[in-house]
Amino acid sequence: MFFELVFRNSRRDRKENGLFFASLIISIVAFYIILSLSKQDVMIFLQEMESDAVNRLLAMIPVFYGMTLAILFFLIYFASKFQMERRRHEFGMYLMLGMRRRKLFAMLLAEDFRSSIISLLIGLPIAVLLSEIISLVTAKLVGLGIIGHRFTLSLNATLWTTVGFLMIKLAAFLILSGKISRQEIQSLLAETPEGTKRQMPAIIYALALVTGVVFLGAAYYMAISGASWQHLQKMAITLTMGLIGTLLLFFGMRFVMSLMIKVGKSNRKLQVFNFRQLQENVIRQSNTMAVSSLLILAALCCFGAGVAIAQFYGQAEAHVLDYTFEDNTAQDGEQGASNIRNSLANYHLDTEFSDLFDMKVGHIRTTEAYDDVFVMDSITKELAKLPESDARNVLLNNLSYADYPYLISLTGYNVLLQRAGLPTLNLKKDEAAIYMDTEFVTNDRIEILNRILSDRPEAQIDGASLRLTGNVQSTGLVTDRSITLSFALILPDEAFEYYTQNQYDVYVNGVLDSDIINGVSLMTAISEMNKKLDETGLDYESYLQNMGRQLFYIVAASYITIYLAIMFLIIANTVIGVQFLMSQQKTNRRYKTLIRLGATYKTLCQAARKQINWHFGIPTIVAAVSSLFGVRALFSGLLSSRIQGDFSKLMLVSGAMILFLCVIEYLYMTAVKRSSNRYLLTLMVPEREE
Amino acid sequence: MEPILQIESLKKYYGKSTNQTKALDGITFQVMPGEFLGIMGSSGSGKSTLLNCIATVIRPTGGSMTMEGMELQSLKGSKLAEYRGKKIGYLFQNFELLDNLTGFENVLLPMSLHNVPEKESKKRLKQLAAYLEITDVLEKFPSQMSGGQKQRIAAARALILNPGIILADEPTGALDSKNAKTLMEKLTGLNRDENAAILMVTHDSNAASYCKRILFIQDGMIFHELRRDVPDESQQDFYARILKVMAQLGGGSANVL
Repeated sequence: MFFELVFRNSRRDRKENGLFFASLIISIVAFYIILSLSKQDVMIFLQEMESDAVNRLLAMIPVFYGMTLAILFFLIYFASKFQMERRRHEFGMYLMLGMRRRKLFAMLLAEDFRSSIISLLIGLPIAVLLSEIISLVTAKLVGLGIIGHRFTLSLNATLWTTVGFLMIKLAAFLILSGKISRQEIQSLLAETPEGTKRQMPAIIYALALVTGVVFLGAAYYMAISGASWQHLQKMAITLTMGLIGTLLLFFGMRFVMSLMIKVGKSNRKLQVFNFRQLQENVIRQSNTMAVSSLLILAALCCFGAGVAIAQFYGQAEAHVLDYTFEDNTAQDGEQGASNIRNSLANYHLDTEFSDLFDMKVGHIRTTEAYDDVFVMDSITKELAKLPESDARNVLLNNLSYADYPYLISLTGYNVLLQRAGLPTLNLKKDEAAIYMDTEFVTNDRIEILNRILSDRPEAQIDGASLRLTGNVQSTGLVTDRSITLSFALILPDEAFEYYTQNQYDVYVNGVLDSDIINGVSLMTAISEMNKKLDETGLDYESYLQNMGRQLFYIVAASYITIYLAIMFLIIANTVIGVQFLMSQQKTNRRYKTLIRLGATYKTLCQAARKQINWHFGIPTIVAAVSSLFGVRALFSGLLSSRIQGDFSKLMLVSGAMILFLCVIEYLYMTAVKRSSNRYLLTLMVPEREE
Repeated sequence: MEPILQIESLKKYYGKSTNQTKALDGITFQVMPGEFLGIMGSSGSGKSTLLNCIATVIRPTGGSMTMEGMELQSLKGSKLAEYRGKKIGYLFQNFELLDNLTGFENVLLPMSLHNVPEKESKKRLKQLAAYLEITDVLEKFPSQMSGGQKQRIAAARALILNPGIILADEPTGALDSKNAKTLMEKLTGLNRDENAAILMVTHDSNAASYCKRILFIQDGMIFHELRRDVPDESQQDFYARILKVMAQLGGGSANVL
């Protein structure tokens, strides 16, 4: 009998409360996906290239696991609470019939366990499937190709998913059943438990509202001005202020509500009723709503940051070089270069390259001094004449440090330009071109400089005069994209040799023969080449490693942030939805009365729809408005100046995010509306009450 | 005079043929405009089912109900909603006020549902509130009112759209004797002054003594009918007669096993 009851109850719960069941499955999927990160194709691939960084990321997984545990607990607790509230009456009946509390507890635990197991049985396969799909899609997206994708079932992930899921489920169950068991049978049996509604004077709500807005404003000011990012303490203050501000804002929202009821005199189609319902929900649950809103905000920020970071690192520069070799053991650069060529020839690898050329980089050695060796007053003067702008100021500042530049020899650089399909440079004896890596310039800065350079301004290098000419150069000198020069001069070879006094570094750049690449993917070609090169003992950097590094940043940043964003969104929306449905069921008598007063099913559905729109709308709109500031703050704190300058792009990201949010919200609202309509339909059928 | 409500051999059966409960088994009666009709019977006699059928929240198994020439069972959609909202006013035992709305908002609820412009009924609301002595509590929430005040707010809500008939389901059931008396007096006054027909289901012989006519129901059939001889018969005497019938109904010698 006992097990029969357990069986029937848990089956009924699954049927009647799909939302609850769905949230259980979502939790399982979320756990598994974060835990199986190390088994993703991209990660396996990266582990070979960037094992250090990947391992560091993977070492962080327990932290994410813990975080997931905490936020999913919030979700499960809320969904279970809803579930328990629905069944209060039933529990009261069991107790009235003489079931002992211990037996009731055991029964509920058994039911809970049963539904957990079923959720796991359904959720785990979905999770595995989804994780495989993500693996394939990301691999495809980053251009790995589906080379030998193998189906991977991570036993570890499965185990920890199960453990984590059961743990939070049990914790939520213990807390909730503890609460239920302490109540009197009478209050369990009562149809609608009396909610204590402590109304405070309107002025308190108004004050809370104003204070909330002020706090939020202050928090955003601190974050956007960059003050928060200077110190951990300041960051803590900002976050606390933001949190308190949001809580107060929602607490004070009921003031707005009552104002709206008073002002909006028209009482058509249950408008007053709708607002009173909303007001009640806001009064009872202002904190939950505030937390949901914050979760949506967190989701938006994560999403925005993820997209922006991915875009930043994903801005692929033209792929020119496949390999760069360097010999650090040799006496001087030339010696090293010939060593490299010899080694390659010994292993018969030189034929595999269509091009092997030297890139010579050095310092000014004609003088012992390090300050003011290079002077370009004419440029700074021209700059100073320009109207005030960000680009001008940054340039002025940056160029003032460029008094001891790197030197690059022209021949090597011209070969590079040729390979990149760009026009080569022609420099006379006393001419030089400016080199600045893309990392340090923006389009408008380059434009300003190019305009000034077109007049061939004069500069002094170690006392000798020099004409600066041509456009600003920024093609990557070597394969490794993390080696960048903020400012360098490209000199004709004789001048280069003179100023460096023949002491310079030589990097041997290689481009793979197109025959080798043909037929196989570049990735495979380079992978195979790497294996051969490893035998030679040469120091080298390949495009693949470089790609790997970039990939890693993209994948790590975007994967984790987007994962968190989706989690936050799902949880916030589920909580809001469940909260609405819960309050609707609690106040079912009101709907019944409305039906008695002649409300049609259509009218009720319309009223409920309006309530749902507001219910979702309020936290979402607050979050969306906050996100406009939040994303801006995040960018000013996290991203390099290059992206920051691009304000329109930033807005585009925000806009896309809000659009994405709208779609998600729409989906959730539709689901909740359906569920609400279904519930209202059950109310339309009169019960026999005698 | 045309009856406002005509019930013709109304039947309501629950369950399948082998295990059937006949809640209503062929009930026929009429309600005249301005009549105050009581329906009495013990628990399970079918009186609430009857009221619910008239309120169109339960669909009868057979028979017909006609109000002002309208066949109630054929009503659908917006017509049905309009009937519920405008033709009848309903008074519940538990008042069924929406506890998150003020008294004022509760009274105006039917207008909100049926899109009646507020201006029209503002005057009526004032009159009703003054008569029912609820002007002071209109701005309060139900939780801040006494039971009697709540029921009078509910009465105002039932009357706001000027229905032809008020259906009252044990309106004094949740009230103490003093509040019950006040309510019954107010209902009688409204019945007299506004010529609103009232159909009241009750257990309470005291409340029933305010009616002009009482139908006694047992096992889904009309068992007896009492008519108050106005103005010769005092309420007291009518009450005594009701008690006598009730005694027969509940424990009449025929029912003693």
